[in-house]
Amino acid sequence: MKNKINIYLIEYAINAILRQKYKSIFITTIFTLLVFLLSSIFFITNSIKYELNSTVDALPEIIVQKVKAGRHYDMDGDSIDSILSISGVSDAVARVWGYYYFENAGVNFSIVGVDSYEKQYKDSLANIVEKFDLESDKPSMIIGSGVRDVMNQNYYKDYFNFIKPDGTLKRVEIAGVFDGDTNLESNDMIVMSKDLVRDIFDIAESKASDIVVKVPNPDEVPTVVSKIKILYPDSRIITSEDLKVSYQNIFDYKSGVFLALFVVSLFTFFIIIYDKASGLSSEEKKEIGVLKAIGWRVDDVMKEKFYEAFIISFFAYTLGVALALAFVYIFQAPILQNIFIGYSQLKTNFELPFILDIQTLFLVFFLSVPIYIAATIIPSWRVATLEADEVIR
Amino acid sequence: MILTPEVLAILLLNVIFAVFSFIAFILSIKIFLNWDIESTSTAQYKLEKQSFLSATIIKYIFIIKVPLFLFFIFTLDKISNVLTGAMCGAGVVDATEYGIYLFLLKIINLYIFGYWLALHFEDIKHENQPYTKLKFGIFIVAFFLFIIELIIEGVMFSSIEVDKMVSCCGSLYSSTSTSYISEIFKIDTTLLLTLFYTNYFLMLLFYFFKQKYFFALANITFIIISIMSLIIFFGTYIYELPTHHCPFCFLQNDYYFVGYFLYSFLFIGTFYGFKTGFIESSKELVSKNYRVSLIFNTLYLIIVSLYPILFYIKNGVWL
Amino acid sequence: MIELKNITKKYEINKNNTTIALHNINLSIQEGEIVILKGASGSGKSTILSLIAALSKPTSGEVIVDKKHISKLPDNFASIYRRDNIGFIFQKYNLIPTLSVKENILLPLVPLNLSNKEMEEKLHTVMQKFTIEHKKDSIVKRLSGGEQQRVAIARSYVNNPKIIIADEPTANLDERLSLHFIEILKEFKALGKTVVVATHDPLFFGLDFVDKEIEIERGNLLL
Repeated sequence: MKNKINIYLIEYAINAILRQKYKSIFITTIFTLLVFLLSSIFFITNSIKYELNSTVDALPEIIVQKVKAGRHYDMDGDSIDSILSISGVSDAVARVWGYYYFENAGVNFSIVGVDSYEKQYKDSLANIVEKFDLESDKPSMIIGSGVRDVMNQNYYKDYFNFIKPDGTLKRVEIAGVFDGDTNLESNDMIVMSKDLVRDIFDIAESKASDIVVKVPNPDEVPTVVSKIKILYPDSRIITSEDLKVSYQNIFDYKSGVFLALFVVSLFTFFIIIYDKASGLSSEEKKEIGVLKAIGWRVDDVMKEKFYEAFIISFFAYTLGVALALAFVYIFQAPILQNIFIGYSQLKTNFELPFILDIQTLFLVFFLSVPIYIAATIIPSWRVATLEADEVIR
Repeated sequence: MILTPEVLAILLLNVIFAVFSFIAFILSIKIFLNWDIESTSTAQYKLEKQSFLSATIIKYIFIIKVPLFLFFIFTLDKISNVLTGAMCGAGVVDATEYGIYLFLLKIINLYIFGYWLALHFEDIKHENQPYTKLKFGIFIVAFFLFIIELIIEGVMFSSIEVDKMVSCCGSLYSSTSTSYISEIFKIDTTLLLTLFYTNYFLMLLFYFFKQKYFFALANITFIIISIMSLIIFFGTYIYELPTHHCPFCFLQNDYYFVGYFLYSFLFIGTFYGFKTGFIESSKELVSKNYRVSLIFNTLYLIIVSLYPILFYIKNGVWL
Repeated sequence: MIELKNITKKYEINKNNTTIALHNINLSIQEGEIVILKGASGSGKSTILSLIAALSKPTSGEVIVDKKHISKLPDNFASIYRRDNIGFIFQKYNLIPTLSVKENILLPLVPLNLSNKEMEEKLHTVMQKFTIEHKKDSIVKRLSGGEQQRVAIARSYVNNPKIIIADEPTANLDERLSLHFIEILKEFKALGKTVVVATHDPLFFGLDFVDKEIEIERGNLLL
């Protein structure tokens, strides 16, 4: 169990691999490709998860919405006062926001209302309020870069005409373009004063879309949630923890689907390897016969075959992972990225943050190398136990 | 149903293990029934070849099993983030009724597979391969235990429900819990510590007098007493919290992963101790086994004792 | 030193077909003897060599080498026996053409995981003896026939075996190289090695330094 590593045997194994150039290259290429695909998917999901979690972290801990007949409704802005009186709550802000459907482009804009004198619930919004002046005489808004591109494409350069629920137009000037805290956000967002939002969506003065509640101590969140529920039985309460959990589940589901596909391809690969490893040319058989004749034991032959298998699979694993890293983080994973972010008209200029964790590396390892080696066990054994004398004749 | 990629990876490897161990199982039966080293028939030669295959399969499973077990613990930790109420692997283990049995079975199987390999290496050193029938007979039993482990693992992962609340280790590993664990807490701490150090001392004694069997037995009891004392006493000093008894939390990076070291040392030490008693081998190998066992058990003892001692030195009081 | 007692070897081609390669053979070879096994192809001489080298096991009977019953050794031990006691020279050398001379010669020792120093020592001894040292790092396929022959012989000798076995060593060689091989045989005799050569090359018949010539026909020894 504690043998020294036999360098000569390793050298022989490497040489044996090189002697079978075409077969080795074929197998290594396929295997590298599989590892590459698998790692890319994991890297992408890890990065997106990280991004989303960062987004969620930037949010307040609790969002309170009013639910009526299963649907989201505007709620009373006064609810804030009773919520603020709950112990553990450091702040509560009424949000006014909505989705505006721009028919010409077929996309949705998120419109967020801010009041410059209020404390903002998100740092990115606070930055915007600081930088831009929304209280000019003409109704104006700040838009995200993705929104600007869409508007430009539809010939709106300096202003935009919103269509109100009653059919009339509301012209709003574009006062500036911003970059959000994280890329996932900024693209489809428009920021304007709360009154303007109310105007566009016809939301009453006293109403709010929802209320965000800040609870600095995470352990107190469940208690606060239950108290709010008692106060407002018709409310739906979403905590940032819930969001994180649901994100993790979505990603695991999506990764799970791909994994299932991968498993199928892996079994195919398994069969290919098994077949290739079993189909020995008479030359190879002779070589093994010679080795046994000059004193190699069955164990030695099997060890050598194992080294071969390990070298190939580990090399392919390393190469596959390296290529995936380059593909995902340097080239930003074209095509594959969209499967996870969701392909929409508003293309994101989303930069995947570099996340490398050991668990993922091990995961990919366990999904690749042991399976390759398993495929070679029986063929190696068959070869190693050939009757040497039959082979030498 | 938990469908994380990690779980799928584990289940996939389990399927492979099941298939291969089944092959080894069939071969083991054939060998166990028909093996006759003196015979020169073609049938016997065939069996000899097949014994190579079985041995290789078992080696393969064991080599992968060990890191996979660590990966399994990682996975439990990761799942704990998704399960409501779980803050470490303990919560996940408790999420189903199978969890704790699975865990114990995994550890037992590690010992069994390790023992099989040790027996195998000893066996092939001799021309007449004296332990062949024995070792394949043992594998027949080991196979059943192994398959049970795989099945339970599959069932456990598929029956974990994300929305069902689980107990956190704080409530599980406390004297007030209603589970079997609370039984441990009924034992007087001083008595337990005395047993722990006495057991170690006995091992030293048996080492000096070269009493193989007693040494091995002492190692077996050492496993049990170490785990109990770890949960009840030493763990609290690692956490510096008199109520925190969880045996999983110190596997996390907040505690510098000390759990992995402790458990590895304990496993290696007791496994080699077990080896001395139950495997007949050459004198030098036996003394090597003694030494390794003693070194790792001592390491475990030292590290685990350092925590309370350093705590006392720093704070002047016990917990 | 080498004894074959009541050896019968049958090969099973399929369920109904068995050929008898050797029929109740009894053979005895003393230490230091050079023995020629004469016979046509398929007569069973290669089978006798396999048995002496523990490459195959007899259907019945015993093979005893140096007082050890090698016919019943399990595979691993048979290999160890071969490695320590037997030097094999094949008909077509069976060198690995893409490896160097040095690597080919050391091939029997690879699984042993010896130290670099030991490997170099053994290599040096044997390369000197068979005058192939100057080609140490050359790739075998670029060597001449004669040089390859010397490499094959060096390989068989690298572990200083007691017994050298050669199976049709001159079947593919011209007369010059065949004669050279016979010279090497003389050297082996001088070194006190036991040599068993299976051949139907007439160059080997009637040589003065050969101790025994045994003729085999269809699995039976001709006396």
